[in-house]
Amino acid sequence: MSAPAELVLAAGGPVIPNFGGGSSCVVQNHQFCLSWFEHNWSSVFEPRLVEHLELTAIAVGVGMAIAFTAAIIAYKQNWFETPFSLLSAFLYTIPSLALFELLVQVTGINRFTAEIGLVSYTLLILFRNTLTGLRGVPPASIEAAHAMGLTPRQTLLRVELPLAFPAIMAGIRIATVTTISLATVAAYIGAGGLGELIFDAIQSGFKTEFVAAGVLAIVLAIALDIVLVLLQRAITPWSRRRLAPT
Amino acid sequence: MRSSDPVSFFLNNLSLFGDKTAAHVELSLASIGVAFAICVPLGVWLGHLHRGSFLAISVSNIGRALPSLAVISIGIGILGIGFRNTMVALIILAGPVMLTNAYVAVDGVDQDAVQAARAMGMTPLSVLLRVELPLALPLIFAGIRTATVYVIATATLATFAGGGGLGDIIVNEPTYGTAGVVAGSLAIAVLAFAFDGLLALVQLGVTPAPLRRQGRRQRVDAIVEASWETGGRR
Amino acid sequence: MRAVPGSDIKDIPPRAGRRHRLRALAVLLLAVLAAALVAACGSSSNSSSTTSSGTASTGSTSTSASSGSSGTLTLGTKNFTEEFIVGALYQQALTAKGCKINYKPNIGATEVIDKALTSGQIDAYPEYTGESVATVAGINTPVSSPQQEYNLAKAFYAKRGQVMSQMTPFFDTDAIAVRKAFAQKYGLVSTGDLKKVPHFTLGARPEFLNREEGALGMKKVYGVSNFTFKSLALGLQYQALDSGAVDAIDVFTTDPQLASGKYVVLKDPKNIFGFQNIALVVNKNKVNACPGLMSTVDAVNRLLTTPAIIAMNKAVAIDHQQPGAVAAAFLKANHLG
Repeated sequence: MSAPAELVLAAGGPVIPNFGGGSSCVVQNHQFCLSWFEHNWSSVFEPRLVEHLELTAIAVGVGMAIAFTAAIIAYKQNWFETPFSLLSAFLYTIPSLALFELLVQVTGINRFTAEIGLVSYTLLILFRNTLTGLRGVPPASIEAAHAMGLTPRQTLLRVELPLAFPAIMAGIRIATVTTISLATVAAYIGAGGLGELIFDAIQSGFKTEFVAAGVLAIVLAIALDIVLVLLQRAITPWSRRRLAPT
Repeated sequence: MRSSDPVSFFLNNLSLFGDKTAAHVELSLASIGVAFAICVPLGVWLGHLHRGSFLAISVSNIGRALPSLAVISIGIGILGIGFRNTMVALIILAGPVMLTNAYVAVDGVDQDAVQAARAMGMTPLSVLLRVELPLALPLIFAGIRTATVYVIATATLATFAGGGGLGDIIVNEPTYGTAGVVAGSLAIAVLAFAFDGLLALVQLGVTPAPLRRQGRRQRVDAIVEASWETGGRR
Repeated sequence: MRAVPGSDIKDIPPRAGRRHRLRALAVLLLAVLAAALVAACGSSSNSSSTTSSGTASTGSTSTSASSGSSGTLTLGTKNFTEEFIVGALYQQALTAKGCKINYKPNIGATEVIDKALTSGQIDAYPEYTGESVATVAGINTPVSSPQQEYNLAKAFYAKRGQVMSQMTPFFDTDAIAVRKAFAQKYGLVSTGDLKKVPHFTLGARPEFLNREEGALGMKKVYGVSNFTFKSLALGLQYQALDSGAVDAIDVFTTDPQLASGKYVVLKDPKNIFGFQNIALVVNKNKVNACPGLMSTVDAVNRLLTTPAIIAMNKAVAIDHQQPGAVAAAFLKANHLG
């Protein structure tokens, strides 16, 4: 269907410009229109991809700050573990869409609400892995540190945390990948990101957008997973053996 | 039909919840069933042969990383909407865990037991069926359990693909009100917990007594671990 | 996971006060989490605005301005193409006049976005006159002209604290559409004719089920209740109808897909779906947020004739251009952008 040339209606009517039409691939909604994807990459896909990364980074960063602090406290004060575990486990079990819809009633339809939900989901994994990692430090190392005169804080910083690092990194890796997945759902409540493109596609039925947005999200998740694995191996070359299941 | 609180909404709409839950469970179990039929025998077989460890690990890593809505999205783009098409997406999401667990379970069976069985003259098939599988059963089952709870949680998103289920209630605040959204959300959480609990009991049943662990710390860990597996990667 | 018994870290004598400090820190952390929860509950009427520049617009969006400051308008839209287009038109036309627009497209259906308006999360959004009357106001008086519908809507909003702009020349109502062969088989011309079908599936967006201007009206006014309702995310309905997953769907009369000739749109002689012209609904206290706000919106609305909106709908829904780009081209051609 060719686009109409500039239409001038009867006096007083609007000018309807030629909007340019669409390629036959797009108009007939074929499986994947590469030219449309390329043409719209920088205006549609790239901003959403960046947004998605931001969402994830903020969620994992804040989650890590909270969970890390909590894990250290739990490490020193055992009673703290149970309430925090149960709280974060409870938050984690609620299916994501349900949790986001519940939060919206309280804090509205915006990115802040989404971040609250996303942070909640990271807490359990990060807390559990950090604590497991700390507890897995060989007691002999701790005793040796004390024998050398290190204070508890120095022991924590120079011995326990470095040895716990592989487990902590595994936790960050799982949390990151999980957050990318959840962030796609968060778009339903205004978070933006690649999920927004998926919901746009649901609204428009445009197959190319379904496929492109889905593939981008998957590629992002797998790419970050690989990057974090490599990062972990680079920083702790001494521990190739698996501790926590990864 | 609006009510002021989730509980009365639930009680006033029992048939609605019944229908949606039935659809939700039907979709979930069908997907699990197919994924089980494909992935568990494959994993068991590979583990028995001690081959394909790289495949199993890679499938595990990639499967864990797949964003569920993205897989559903690609499914809509390629297959369209509807029950069967949503099922395909859920099968893809459920498979990796079951495959990897089945592989690791059989691969990791104590080789002394296997050698002893062979020494007694058992055929490889008998070894598999009478020695390896029983010992591997707990871990295989853990994979089924993880996958089932994950699919039940993820089936919430089926509403976007015309697959029905409890998600229909959650996204329809205009019709069902806040009370409905809360009731629907709680219903799915309860459903997930219920299946997890049910399967935990079954898992306890298939775990040989010496391998069971009790103790308060382990129980807290178990709760934490269970809900960690429950939520999984959505 | 536990350290070997006997070498527990607690065996090492603590520094004076350290355990006490850690306990305080633990309690403080729990208290902060609890306080955050309470604070979040308390701020349910505040909008915390971070930019969410949806794909619905390539125009500029302002940053981090809450809807309280002057010179800024938070503009929202509902969750479908026509709203994205009209929203983008308003956003760009107003920005060109020096208004700072905090644009939040794709908020949700009528019930959801109206709540956002009354709670102050947004200041304005484009609304359909019939929706205002039937869904927002809950008024079921039968109307016989767009002007009548508009007057009812305007009066309702005035009582509640909102102002309406002038309305567009075009209107876009819901309607039931079926496949051509299906219509021929059962002789379907009007919505009431659906009674002739033994049983059919009706697919529509979730909120359609419970609306007077929806399935409820079909039952009450036309006596059509011989259907199974299938909830479809808005946008999937044509796909579902084409594939045979459903027999009838709810459509918008300005949908570009209707020009294909594949479907028959059933008439609505009893006007259950109302008249649906668009006007901008603004909270009273924000009417003067920008100079010339209402006059600019009125100028845009005057341009929106049925051919214009259908052309723009086609560009976005069929040709998959971006709403922002289409709006920009339209405004430029008419010297408003």
